[in-house]
Amino acid sequence: MATNTDAIVVKKPPLSVMLYKYRYFYLMSIPVVVLLLLFYYWPMLGIRYAFSTYKLKHITSGKGPDYSTGFGNFKALLSDRFFTDSFRNTIALSFWNLVFATVFTVVVALLINELQHEWGKKFVQTVLYLPHFLSWVVVASIFTLLLSAGSDFTGKDTSNVGFINAIFLNLGLISQPKAFLTDTSTWRPCWYIIQRWKETGWGTIIYLAALSGISPDLYEAAEIDGAGRLKQTWYITLPSLMNTILIVFILNLAKILNVFESVFVLYNDLVLSVSDVIQTYTYRKGIQGNDYGYATAIGLFKSVISLFLVTGADYVAKRIRGYGIV
Amino acid sequence: MSTKFSFQKGYRARAVFVILNAIFFIFMMVCMIVPIIKILSDSLMNHTVYGMKLIPDEINGIAYKYIFSQDSLRRPLVVSVYTTLMTTFLGLLISTIGAYILIQREMPGVKFFGYMLMFTMIFNGGLIPTFLVMKKLKLLNTLWAVILPMALNVSNLVLMRSFFEGLPKSLFEAAEIDGCTPIGTFIKIVLPLSKAALASIGLFFAVAAWSEYFHYVMYISDTKKYNFQYKLRDLFADKQAGDGEGTNINIKTLQSAAIIVSIVPFMFIYPFCQKYFMTGITMGAVKE
Amino acid sequence: MKKNLLIRLTSLGLAVITAMGMAACGETTGPETPGGGQTAEYTKPDSIKMTFDTCMTFENGLQDVCDEYKNQTGITLELEKPDHAKYYEKITLAFASGTPSDAIEMGSTYYPENANNGALWDMTDAWENTTAPAKSIIDESYVDALKIDVKDGSGPRLYGFPTVAGNGTVTYVRQDWLDDMGIAMPTTYDEFIDMLRKFKTRGSGTIPLTAAGLLNNGETPYDIYLREFYQDAIPDFYQKEDGTWVDGFSEPEMEAALTRLHDAFAEGLIDGEIVTNKTSTCRDKVNAGLVGCFNYWAGMWCAKLEDSTTGTDPNAKFAAMPIIKEAGHYTERVPTALVITNNCENPVGVFEDLIMYSHDGDKGQMLFTHGVVDKHYTDNGDGTCTALPYYEDPTKLCEKSFYAPELSITEWNDPIALDPRVEESLAVFRDNRTFATVPVVSDVISENLSNLNVVKGEVAANVLHGNITVQEGMAKYNKDAGKYVEAILADLNS
Repeated sequence: MATNTDAIVVKKPPLSVMLYKYRYFYLMSIPVVVLLLLFYYWPMLGIRYAFSTYKLKHITSGKGPDYSTGFGNFKALLSDRFFTDSFRNTIALSFWNLVFATVFTVVVALLINELQHEWGKKFVQTVLYLPHFLSWVVVASIFTLLLSAGSDFTGKDTSNVGFINAIFLNLGLISQPKAFLTDTSTWRPCWYIIQRWKETGWGTIIYLAALSGISPDLYEAAEIDGAGRLKQTWYITLPSLMNTILIVFILNLAKILNVFESVFVLYNDLVLSVSDVIQTYTYRKGIQGNDYGYATAIGLFKSVISLFLVTGADYVAKRIRGYGIV
Repeated sequence: MSTKFSFQKGYRARAVFVILNAIFFIFMMVCMIVPIIKILSDSLMNHTVYGMKLIPDEINGIAYKYIFSQDSLRRPLVVSVYTTLMTTFLGLLISTIGAYILIQREMPGVKFFGYMLMFTMIFNGGLIPTFLVMKKLKLLNTLWAVILPMALNVSNLVLMRSFFEGLPKSLFEAAEIDGCTPIGTFIKIVLPLSKAALASIGLFFAVAAWSEYFHYVMYISDTKKYNFQYKLRDLFADKQAGDGEGTNINIKTLQSAAIIVSIVPFMFIYPFCQKYFMTGITMGAVKE
Repeated sequence: MKKNLLIRLTSLGLAVITAMGMAACGETTGPETPGGGQTAEYTKPDSIKMTFDTCMTFENGLQDVCDEYKNQTGITLELEKPDHAKYYEKITLAFASGTPSDAIEMGSTYYPENANNGALWDMTDAWENTTAPAKSIIDESYVDALKIDVKDGSGPRLYGFPTVAGNGTVTYVRQDWLDDMGIAMPTTYDEFIDMLRKFKTRGSGTIPLTAAGLLNNGETPYDIYLREFYQDAIPDFYQKEDGTWVDGFSEPEMEAALTRLHDAFAEGLIDGEIVTNKTSTCRDKVNAGLVGCFNYWAGMWCAKLEDSTTGTDPNAKFAAMPIIKEAGHYTERVPTALVITNNCENPVGVFEDLIMYSHDGDKGQMLFTHGVVDKHYTDNGDGTCTALPYYEDPTKLCEKSFYAPELSITEWNDPIALDPRVEESLAVFRDNRTFATVPVVSDVISENLSNLNVVKGEVAANVLHGNITVQEGMAKYNKDAGKYVEAILADLNS
């Protein structure tokens, strides 16, 4: 890098020169900008519905939204205890899920990278990423079976308890089958585990691709210095991955309030207090209320919260690597 | 790299690690595969079994025979292949262009461009406005309504940029000295050096396009333009309230077979993409 | 120097939205609302656009049905068949973009809401004045079930015509188990419980009774799957004889019903997984031969359940149980309606030439029920017909084109004979049913109902599992749901 004195001398060229210098880039940006405006920014006009009442009757009668509501939707939203509960749950579930996802996925990616046998490596990866392609409905039906406490509530007849209960019973860990998915203390851990089961393999892809970009020279140099495998991982591999880890983390952070299907297919009346999330709340409101304005208000609320989260993460990223995600 | 497997002094810790690692992955694979084996087993028994039965008590391929005898699945297969190829191609094109622009840190307006992209990840218009836009653009009932929105995927674009950032700066400087235009640099240097990124993000696009269902439901009513995923769901979805199937094939068996059929393509795509992920391949190219 | 990202993003977004807002134009314009129809004379429509949710696919000849309709009437039938799972989203989108079809099939949740807000054509007069053959053969009780009381005092109005009977659910019992164990079909609650207890002794893994959830997932009627336990309790708002509305869930009958459910559950007579069960899980359990008693759709499903179960247990035989004395009745749902939208240019024509024609007890009904001759069925020449296999699947007989034959609302001699099991289960249902009324809709109800249903679900499930006693449950309900109930009752009784 240049010395301090050089940096002071360098003068920014005038804008016209810069514009000319980057003319090809502006040309290249046109298709991206056009798609962005057409398919993302144009529909965003719909955000104004958040300040209106826009029910089925406004739609089918052709009257259009009623804007006399103003901030009424937001007031109603924040005074509904089911919404605030679901908001708290969303933050808790998504945050821990994101933490587990990041740590577990990175560790698994590093371990896959350590597998020496090429064919075995391919096989492992292919198997690990398959669950991603099962729909949540299917995943839920399988895990409900696996975690089932059987159809006999008295617990005497354990002949059709699920796989997990059967193992625990045989090992003597429990004396009565445990209904994992209807117990408020076990539902969340189950949900985290199922999330990891489904998405870990898929999540490793991006890290494995990033790992392939690390120069072998670095490892060779480290080896000459006498660094062991663990040290190499710590001082070379992880720092090289950090950029990708941060980006993936922030991209996921922007989406955490959207968690829906995985909860929707696994929650039930008994664990609603720990599992209800914003999207399931919206869904229930939707099928009965059908107020599009209210739903848009929920969406806007989520977006604003995400904006804060991403901005915060961006600030941290700037601290860590010098510049943010943009 | 030290790859020697031995229990001699100095290699022992490594050997123990390799064994433990292997055990860990065997355990992981069992966890992942057992539920899929259950579905496979369900798809081979032409009767309903309740519970985790992993070994079928009969092997009956009638459900698979049925699925592949469906003429109505053939055209959707073509639609799927077409939209997947188009989406992947356009998606990679747009992501790489966008990412290439984003790494031009000096370019006036590049930050604005970046914020404009990021903003769409957080804010969106919702179903009805998006539908109305599609209608105004006269894209309803065309496959473009499915392909174009999927081709611009901001997450993928940002991921692509993080790969481009890893390319050595010296390369760009050298190219500029050699008189390469930015477009020339992009085609001759950036793309060939980003095989791992293209493979992984291309996979993301392909998988998303292949499994797409929602856009078809919302924007397409011409039954000739539905994709394979849609058709599988349409044929075997759990319909209630008397809308029944009345076939002599057990519905559970059919549904299980449909699940297996829908995940089989992915078992082949991944190993294909994977050869681009091999350690060192990218940087090896740089050295040449 | 460094501007905050937050500020930048926000201002950028606002700038873009404002800029595009200026370019935006009005998105919807309201259609004129025509008055009630005159039926004496009408012009025949050239073409009709219809949106319908049926399981017959275009590949299996749905287009041929439309072509045959044109053959018979000279009218082009443009058919739209959205995905079953997203049917109502598609309809909402069609309305939002101002392009709904002339005729749309609509379930009982959407029908009253749309009727109330003036999107649907009032067909009361058209039905009164029609001279179509359908008029004399239709069972009026199904038509009446769709009439909606409008508050302006003009009496019940009709905004949609039933396609088929609403149908409902009956309790199916494993007849072979009854025979096997020498038990008579129960007629009272005690006998019913006694039967479940005996089923329970059939060996490990047996589930005497299963159901998917306690309150039908918040869809009305909430109690249909567990009629034997709810009996005279109504877990919903209902109108007393003097016309006032009350909340059935807070009444003493509900306390008794919850006690019955809890006791049977604690004894292991009800599936221990009832709270997590989906309908498909229940069917799996039934089809795997584990279940003794299961409440499900009357009619076709009797045969389907039996056929699917015989794969595992060849002796399986299902019988529909007449409702036990204490429970009094099964419930016939509000029928699915075929509505005419106000966007339709010739509503009377559509009413006469599409709706009435499809219930004519003759060619039209045959087309709308079974499809096209020689394509979906063959005429045997002796007044009977036989269903043909689907085009694409020789193993499967055509079931219906639009209307389920067994649920026809006309006095019509279907030339294709029904499976006797279907007829039997329908007969049991029809002997024991009462008609549900069109659900009342209002802004207050839709604002409060989803939260209210959550409280109901939580209370019922926790009482069932013994996490709280029935009394605690009722107290919790009154505390948590009080404000929703009050708001809704105030609205209903106003």
